[in-house]
Amino acid sequence: MSALTLTDIRKSYGAVEILKGIDLDVATGEFVVFVGPSGCGKSTLLRLIAGLDEISAGTMAIGGVRMNEVDPSRRGLAMVFQSYALYPHMTVEQNMGFALRFAGMPKAEIRSRVLDAARVLDLEPLLKRKPRALSGGQRQRVAIGRAIVRQPKLFLFDEPLSNLDAELRVHMRIEIAKLHRRLGVTTIYVTHDQVEAMTLADRIVVLRAGAVEQIGSPLALYDDPDNLFVAGFIGSPKMNLLPAVGAATPMGAPALRIAALGDALIPLPPGAPKVAEGAPVTSGIRPEQFDPAGPVGLDLTVDIVEHLGGTNHVHARKGDAPPIVVDVREGRTLRPGDPITVRFDPAALHLFGTDGKRLRA
Amino acid sequence: MSPSRLATRAGIYAFLGLFAFLSVFPFLWMIVGMTNRTGDIILGRFTLGDAFLENARNFFEQADAPLVFWNSAKIAILGTIATLAVSSIAGYGFEIFRSPARERIYGVLLLTIMIPFAVLMIPLFVIMGKLGLINTHIAVILPTVASGFVVFYFRQATKAFPSELRDAARVDGLKEWQIFLYIYVPTMRSTYAAAFVIVFMTAWNNYLWPLIVLQTNDKKTITLAISSLASAYYPDYGVVMVGALVATLPTLFVFFIMQRQFVQGMLGSVK
Repeated sequence: MSALTLTDIRKSYGAVEILKGIDLDVATGEFVVFVGPSGCGKSTLLRLIAGLDEISAGTMAIGGVRMNEVDPSRRGLAMVFQSYALYPHMTVEQNMGFALRFAGMPKAEIRSRVLDAARVLDLEPLLKRKPRALSGGQRQRVAIGRAIVRQPKLFLFDEPLSNLDAELRVHMRIEIAKLHRRLGVTTIYVTHDQVEAMTLADRIVVLRAGAVEQIGSPLALYDDPDNLFVAGFIGSPKMNLLPAVGAATPMGAPALRIAALGDALIPLPPGAPKVAEGAPVTSGIRPEQFDPAGPVGLDLTVDIVEHLGGTNHVHARKGDAPPIVVDVREGRTLRPGDPITVRFDPAALHLFGTDGKRLRA
Repeated sequence: MSPSRLATRAGIYAFLGLFAFLSVFPFLWMIVGMTNRTGDIILGRFTLGDAFLENARNFFEQADAPLVFWNSAKIAILGTIATLAVSSIAGYGFEIFRSPARERIYGVLLLTIMIPFAVLMIPLFVIMGKLGLINTHIAVILPTVASGFVVFYFRQATKAFPSELRDAARVDGLKEWQIFLYIYVPTMRSTYAAAFVIVFMTAWNNYLWPLIVLQTNDKKTITLAISSLASAYYPDYGVVMVGALVATLPTLFVFFIMQRQFVQGMLGSVK
C-alpha cells in the first residue's frame, strides 16, 4: 500500500496559484526528496502534507486514508523544521517527550521512548540541557529525536540542514541516511540543495513554479532528464547547455553546429533524435562527459580553472563564445590562457527542443 | 589624550552629570525632606534632619497607611495581571491570525493611544455609573485592561516569536489556546516581565482616574492619600515625603527584581 498519495493537489492564495496539480504516489519506506529553486512550492507542498496549511483542491491520503481535513497531530506524521523549532523553555528530554505527554501517554512509556531515541542519536548526556546550551548540530539531532519518539508513519523534513555549516551538513546528511535505513520510515524531505537530494533520495521530485518537472531516481534524473530545467538543475557543476542548429554532413548524415564550440560540424550518432536542418535546439553535455578518448575534438582556450584536488573544473571558451565547463582530471597545471583540446562522444549529447522538452529518438 | 578631546570628554561628562543630577534630585529631596520638619523644608534646608520618626508616625496615623497601601497593591497587581492577559492575547492574535480587516482594526486600536485621558474621563465615568461600579476598585482597573499601547508592545514582540514553534506545537497536537499558554507565554517571559514593570508602575502611580471614581476613604489608594495630605490647609511636607517614599518603594522593588528580564524584554521588542 502507498504510504502517501497526492492526487491533483492544488494550493491558491487568492488568485495566485502556488501549486498547480501535484500527483505523487510514495511507497512505504521510501525516501522521497522534493527539490527545486526558491519559491517553487516545495515547502508549501510539505506544509499541506503536514496539515499546517489547507489544501485548496485535490486529495491527500496517508496509508490509503483521506487526510485533507484531519488535524496535523492525527495524521501519524512527525516533522523536522529548518530552524529546529525546539521549545526554548524546555529541556531536551521535555522537548522530545512533549507530544507524547500531550497525547496522554504514561510517563514510564514516554521516558523509555525518549531514552531509546536519545541512545540512537547520541543525545543521552544532553537530556537535561536547554536548547540554548546546545550547538546547531545537537539541536538538529534533538529535533530529529523529537520526531522519532512519536514513531510516525511518515517523517517530514523541511530543509533540516540549511542552518548548519558545510562540514556538519555532510555529517548530518549521512546520519539521516543511516537513520532512514535503520528505522525504515517513509520520509519526505525538502531541500533546495541538489547534492542532498542526489545523496539521500530513493526518488526525487523536481518542482518548478508549483508544478512537477520530473520524478525519478537520482541517477535517472541525472542520466535522462526530461527537460532543460531538470538537466540544468540536477548535477554539480551543472550541465553545459549550448544553443545549436540542425545541420548535415557533406555525406548527408545528420549533424549539429554548436556556436559555443566554434560552429564545428558535429555528426550525430545513429539513434540520435532527428533534428531538421536549420532547426534551433539546445544541446547539453555534462562537464564529466568530456572524454579524452572521444571521437570529436575541439580546441578551446582556458578561461578559469577551479582546482578541487581530485579533479579540476576548467572553464574554457572558443573565441568570444560563452565558456563551457569541462571536468579535467589531469588538469592541475592548466592556467588561464592555456590552449586545451577537449574531446567528447556526440552520443553523450542531450538534445532539447525550443519548448525545453527533451528530444528523443 | 589631546586637549580638544579632553575638553569634549569633559563637556560630555558635565552634560550627563547635569541630567543625572536633575533625575536624582527629586529622590534626594524626598529623602532629605522626610527627615526634616515643614518649617525647615520651606526654608530650603538640604541636610538630613532628626524628624524622620515623627514624620513617619504622623503619616501612619493620618493616612491609614496599611489600608491605602493594600488598596493600591490590589489595584496595581490585579490590574497588571488583567492587562497583561488581555493585551498579550490581543497582540498575539493581531500578529498571528490573518484577516482582511486585521490592519484596519489594529489602526483604530492604535488611534486610541492618541486620545487624551481627559477626553475619555466623563464618558468612562458615565459608563461606570451605569454599570453601578462607582467607588469600586473594579472601576479603576477596568478601563486600563485593554491598553492600546500594551497590545502594540505585544504585537511587536510577537514578530520575534518563530512561526515554526507554532507549527511544531500544532504537529505535536496543541490547540491554539494551548500554543498560547504552553509555548508562547513561557517563551516570551522577558516580554511579559518588561510589560509587567511598565503596567504595574502606571497602575500604581495612577492618580486622576482613581480620584474621580473612588469617593470614600476606605477605597482610596496611596497616591490619593498623599495628595490629600499635600493639599491640607497646612500641609506637613515631612509627612508627605514619608508618604512619597512609601509609595515609591514597591515600584522600585518590582523594577529591581525584574531588571534583567526588563532589559531583555525591551531589547527583544525592538530587535
